[in-house]
Amino acid sequence: MAMIDRSFTIIIWIMAGLVLLAFGWLVSDVVVQGAPKLSWQFLMDEPTRSGREGGIYPIIVSTLLILMTALVVVLPLGLGSAIWLAEFSSKSSKRVRTTRLILDVLAGVPSIVFGLFGYAFFCGFLDLGFSILSGGLTLACMMLPILIRTTEAGLAAVPQDWRKAGAALGMSRTTLLWQVLLPYASPAITAGLLLSIGRATAETAALIFTSGYVDRMPESINDSGRALAVHIYDLSMNVVGGDKASYGSALVLILMVVIINLSASTLSEFWLEKKISRLK
Amino acid sequence: MLSKSLTLLLTLYIVFAGTAVVHAKGNTRLVLTGSSTVAPLALEMAKRFEKSHPGVRIDVQTGGSSRGVVDARTGRADIGMASRSLNQSESDLFSHTIAFDGISIILNKSNPINSLSNVQIQNIYTGKIRNWYQVGGPKMPITVVNKAEGRSTLELFLHHFGLKNSNIKASVIIGDNQQGIKTVSGNPGAIGYVSVGAAEFEEGYGTPIKLLPMSSPLSRPLNLITKQAPDGLAKQFILFAQSSEVNDLIEEQYFVSLAAPSK
Repeated sequence: MAMIDRSFTIIIWIMAGLVLLAFGWLVSDVVVQGAPKLSWQFLMDEPTRSGREGGIYPIIVSTLLILMTALVVVLPLGLGSAIWLAEFSSKSSKRVRTTRLILDVLAGVPSIVFGLFGYAFFCGFLDLGFSILSGGLTLACMMLPILIRTTEAGLAAVPQDWRKAGAALGMSRTTLLWQVLLPYASPAITAGLLLSIGRATAETAALIFTSGYVDRMPESINDSGRALAVHIYDLSMNVVGGDKASYGSALVLILMVVIINLSASTLSEFWLEKKISRLK
Repeated sequence: MLSKSLTLLLTLYIVFAGTAVVHAKGNTRLVLTGSSTVAPLALEMAKRFEKSHPGVRIDVQTGGSSRGVVDARTGRADIGMASRSLNQSESDLFSHTIAFDGISIILNKSNPINSLSNVQIQNIYTGKIRNWYQVGGPKMPITVVNKAEGRSTLELFLHHFGLKNSNIKASVIIGDNQQGIKTVSGNPGAIGYVSVGAAEFEEGYGTPIKLLPMSSPLSRPLNLITKQAPDGLAKQFILFAQSSEVNDLIEEQYFVSLAAPSK
């Protein structure tokens, strides 16, 4: 038995090691190839010669604007729907089950489908054209199912006794939600938010058709703006000799995702701590 | 803390978004969509044009030649971009050639084959020849790299070799040139076809590919497409794109400019 146990342990270690190795390889490849390109100038200049030279400043700005547009839409809609699903409806009703099924299907739909939808609906039907707004709204559609499902799972994990205790203390539903349930679920909400932000920043297919290809500084969210992922794709697949700048941009994208992740989890921990200390 | 910083961000965002309404759309804006081959070139031309015409904005979008033609026809774009000639069903549109691009067959550098006849290429692409030893090479299966539907390189290739896309037995379907080069350089048994300029650049740079000599040159025009005879800003831009002022930009993308047809 000890033999089996030990070999099982070894296999588990090897599996975990392989995953780390693959990840380490990927990151170190991007860091090694991209680091020489990275400089203050690269971050602050406009791209020239189809992006082979110059920087990526307008592209970083566009990426952040697209992400922000998506978040402004996704946060209220996503949290609202999750709260409805978890707290304001009976878990086994047909409506809830259908909604869940639809969300799960949506979470698995390939991004190019969202891209074509965004192109037809936001760019065409709503006449928003190629714009950061169209891109952000398309991303919002992609992010919604992920955020709703993780938030709902977080709320469902709150012990039922807490709700009863809250009701016994005469807390209103809103107070209970705001003071107890949401803080308790905030790690799950953050995780969902980070997952969806990750999906959004990695998005190329959906954005090339909606927020577009223009690499100049956007004047407003009605302008077309190129996202970092689109820029990386174009440089590595379409521009002859664009590989170095492509690696540089990829490194910036990874750093951006790391920074967003760190700040989001810090914020959520901070919020949770504040709520708990108030409860004491 | 969280709600305050969120409110601040939201306010900033709304102020920024609000400026959008003030920004009026005049006839100082051009939208170009289409060929991913032409897009980087058109983008650079547009930047130079904007510099000499203050206030003008030219938005270049990509998506493939077919989309460029469709968008020019439906009016979603002022000018479409296509890396091929217009075909018969599109003869109601106007095309304006701005440069040329050649196509070359490429193999992995480790492949000892140095030339293939047109018939051999036809047989390889239709799956009648599946191993390199059948054309005098080593025993190694052939990986046929084909372009995706709607790509003008594909249409030119099919036209040149008299093939039908439905008869092609492809192992890999690719989109852009660089993707084709990457696929062939990473696979010793692969054969593909891409832009000559891109292939020559990558070969010179040390990427393990080689260009096969062609019996007759395979070249395609890079066109700007308009629905009507162009006027106003569109006409100015097209004339600018055809002028010698942009020759350096065309060479930078490894295309052949109109002014100097032989490179």
